[in-house]
Amino acid sequence: MKTKWIGLGILILTMVAIIGYFVLRPRPVDPIIGYLGGEKIGLLEDEEFKSEMADKFGLELLYKKAGSLDMVRADKTGMSYLFPASQTALELYKSEIGSPMRSEIILNTPLVLYTHTMVRDSLQQSGLVSETNGSYFMDMDKFSAAVKEGKTWADIGLPELYGSISVKTTDPTKSNSGNMFAGLMANAMNGGVVVDSESVYNVLPDLKEFFSRMGYMDTSSADLFSQFLKMGVGAYPMIAAYENQILEFAVTQPDTWQKVGHDLCIIYPTPTVYSSHVMIALDIKGYEAIDALMDPAIQDIAWKSHGFRTGISGSQTETEIFGVDGVLTQVTGVMPMPDFKTMDIIVKELSN
Amino acid sequence: MSRMRIISILVALMLLLSSCAFGSDGGKKSDSNKSRFGSGGELLRIVSGSENIELEPLIKAYTDNNKVTIEMTYMGSVDIMRQLKSNTSEYDAVWPASSIWISMGDKDFRVKHTESTSLSPVVFGIKKSLAESMGFVGKRVSINDIMAKIKSGELKFCMTSATQSNSGASAYLGFLSGLSGNPEVLTMDDLQNSKLREDITGLLQGVDRSSGSSEWLKTLFLQGDYDAMVNYESLIITSNQELVARGDEPLYVVYPYDGLSISDSPLGYIDCGNQKKEEAFLNFQNYLLSEKVQSDLQKLGRRTGFEGVFDENKGVFKGEWGIDTERILSPIKLPTAEVIMEALNLYQREFRKPSLSIYCLDFSGSMYGKGERGVKEAMDLILDQTKASELLLQSNPREINQVIFFNSGIIDTAIIDPSTEEALNELNAKIQAQSAGGGTDIYKAMIRGLETLKSYDLDQYNPAIILLTDGVSAGYFEDFIIAYEELGQDIPVFSIMFGDADPTQLKEIADYTRARVFDGREDLASAFRSVKGYN
Repeated sequence: MKTKWIGLGILILTMVAIIGYFVLRPRPVDPIIGYLGGEKIGLLEDEEFKSEMADKFGLELLYKKAGSLDMVRADKTGMSYLFPASQTALELYKSEIGSPMRSEIILNTPLVLYTHTMVRDSLQQSGLVSETNGSYFMDMDKFSAAVKEGKTWADIGLPELYGSISVKTTDPTKSNSGNMFAGLMANAMNGGVVVDSESVYNVLPDLKEFFSRMGYMDTSSADLFSQFLKMGVGAYPMIAAYENQILEFAVTQPDTWQKVGHDLCIIYPTPTVYSSHVMIALDIKGYEAIDALMDPAIQDIAWKSHGFRTGISGSQTETEIFGVDGVLTQVTGVMPMPDFKTMDIIVKELSN
Repeated sequence: MSRMRIISILVALMLLLSSCAFGSDGGKKSDSNKSRFGSGGELLRIVSGSENIELEPLIKAYTDNNKVTIEMTYMGSVDIMRQLKSNTSEYDAVWPASSIWISMGDKDFRVKHTESTSLSPVVFGIKKSLAESMGFVGKRVSINDIMAKIKSGELKFCMTSATQSNSGASAYLGFLSGLSGNPEVLTMDDLQNSKLREDITGLLQGVDRSSGSSEWLKTLFLQGDYDAMVNYESLIITSNQELVARGDEPLYVVYPYDGLSISDSPLGYIDCGNQKKEEAFLNFQNYLLSEKVQSDLQKLGRRTGFEGVFDENKGVFKGEWGIDTERILSPIKLPTAEVIMEALNLYQREFRKPSLSIYCLDFSGSMYGKGERGVKEAMDLILDQTKASELLLQSNPREINQVIFFNSGIIDTAIIDPSTEEALNELNAKIQAQSAGGGTDIYKAMIRGLETLKSYDLDQYNPAIILLTDGVSAGYFEDFIIAYEELGQDIPVFSIMFGDADPTQLKEIADYTRARVFDGREDLASAFRSVKGYN
């Protein structure tokens, strides 16, 4: 009798153990890979992000870095998603490949200018940049006029810097931030009116000249930003990149930010354009990844640790958490990008 | 399992073991361009610019304290770009002198976690007394000021090959920009300008000696008696430390304000989906970026970090050497990738100082079989222009090529001048028809080579003797020294080893003539690229 009870006890214990194992065992994590714009690497490498994705959704997002436009044309064998930084990439996808299984805007961030205080001050004195409530704004009409005139840094009181006034961007034919800046400059050169597939031809010569003067261009905004940080004011007087990059840098590298933050500044082009980071699902796993990324907890990590405006968490008003001066709570003065057809004309012209 | 199969597996295992046993702890494998540090743990194979040879003590300190093996393979940064383009799986990480070579080479987006490890501008280091007499001390100097001195013959300099190394390519692009009247950025149209073509060809005549990568240039410079070199500020600093220590005159650093470029020494990981390797890489990268190691890098003359030079290292960057860390370094804009590649092709095909190469080919009995085959393959690679152009080693028609076939005596000789494609093909056919036999005397062959050189104005060429041999020779080194001294010129004698090679005698010759010994059995293409970098 006694042995019977012992036997039953063992059976129950075993069953509890088995059930416990199935209930409590870590959820199997399904790794998926896709192409990612370099500016979002910080988010995908974030430990909190990774564990949230794994625990809640059983997903691990692996990636290969690629420019937003490049990735549409890259070899997509085995890839589950594309995560470019713009809707232009989505439009390109639609026109070259067709309608994707699913696509959603996951994150937003405006295109901004980064520079050093000495450059900002000179730009302010020469009337190109103005300040309101501690935030700085670049008058894009005046800026494009100065570029057309071929003004040099020396002309605005910076003889230490070699060459003419410029903004370094990523390659507009390969990467999104450069592509958006091309759209923005085209609008500015068009008298502040969004260019269309007809009016664009009036600005193409000046636009081409502007980009050809840049010479070699990086293909990733992450590389461009880190070059800007490390190489100093002489090599990178001013760049165009995403707002989230400086916010992320200040959060993830607080010690370095303490040392260099005082010299770096953010200038909002007026008007500016918004970068909408769209995820394009290439298979069912990519489809599921979109749901995961839209989760409020994930969106909260994206804003607080990486500076992406999300539009859902409502936390955009808390800009002071970053300790970066002059960050706008709300970005107004946003202009639409030229449409896809027009951007295609611009890219083709700049590719030649 | 058949007996043959067991034997072949055993042989393979033995080979594997013997290759593992090579220099497992910081030793160099013969004279190849590899160093290995540490043992066990993950293996990180890094392909790196030779300027990072100076960082080896720091790498060793890391592998001593961590379970990881780091294998460094050195080559010029332009060659690193070529490796990336060829989709290599031989390396886990790249560490060229400038980011541009990663972004131009990484077509498949395999490189990630790229971080700049330090900065150093490409500068002219000129003997201080000469810099003073040319009026370069304490002045703002333009690239055209420097070029005027080169044209007048007052300044001769050493630089690395523009088609192999970042510092050479940077200086060359700076020259092109200066000669084109400092356009905002150099274009294809500029490169077509016939005046520019003439000017740059004239300017490159001022190159004394060349090398395939920057650290090797420094070594060469310190062994010889040259006036100036184009190199990284950091390597000029460490050269000066050595020059001063031995009581020689230091170099004065000139930063051409309209032709400056900056090396940012980026270290990036080549993704292969191996998580452990990636972790090992990131740990090593973090070590290099730690404050302690960044300070150590400053001690080697590198600029690091966001805040400039730490107080403790201010003394490394000496004002009396012209070094100025306060000034803003405003580099010129690099042209587009397309323009850069075209400029490099033009350098190789047309602009660079033509080489005068004397190939001494060993056809003695000991070379019979694989040695002979190796030599023939090698010469085919360099003389067949289709093959040569794949390696950016195509011949310049102004070049002169001589071949001396030897065993214990001179079997035959052949010389082509100018080196048209037809003439190169004929020469190649002649080599392919030669067969091996008899004793060996490399000295006799080299002496014959020196005699040929007597009849040329050597200022117009980059002369070199290139020995393709197994290295075991009768005859006397002293006889060669007498002939060499009599000629009284700076002629490097490179050796490429084949067959059952023994480098002892070859090393002696290379040291004496400030050249190097390469192993043609390991990687023929890179051996040739190295030789041609010097010539």
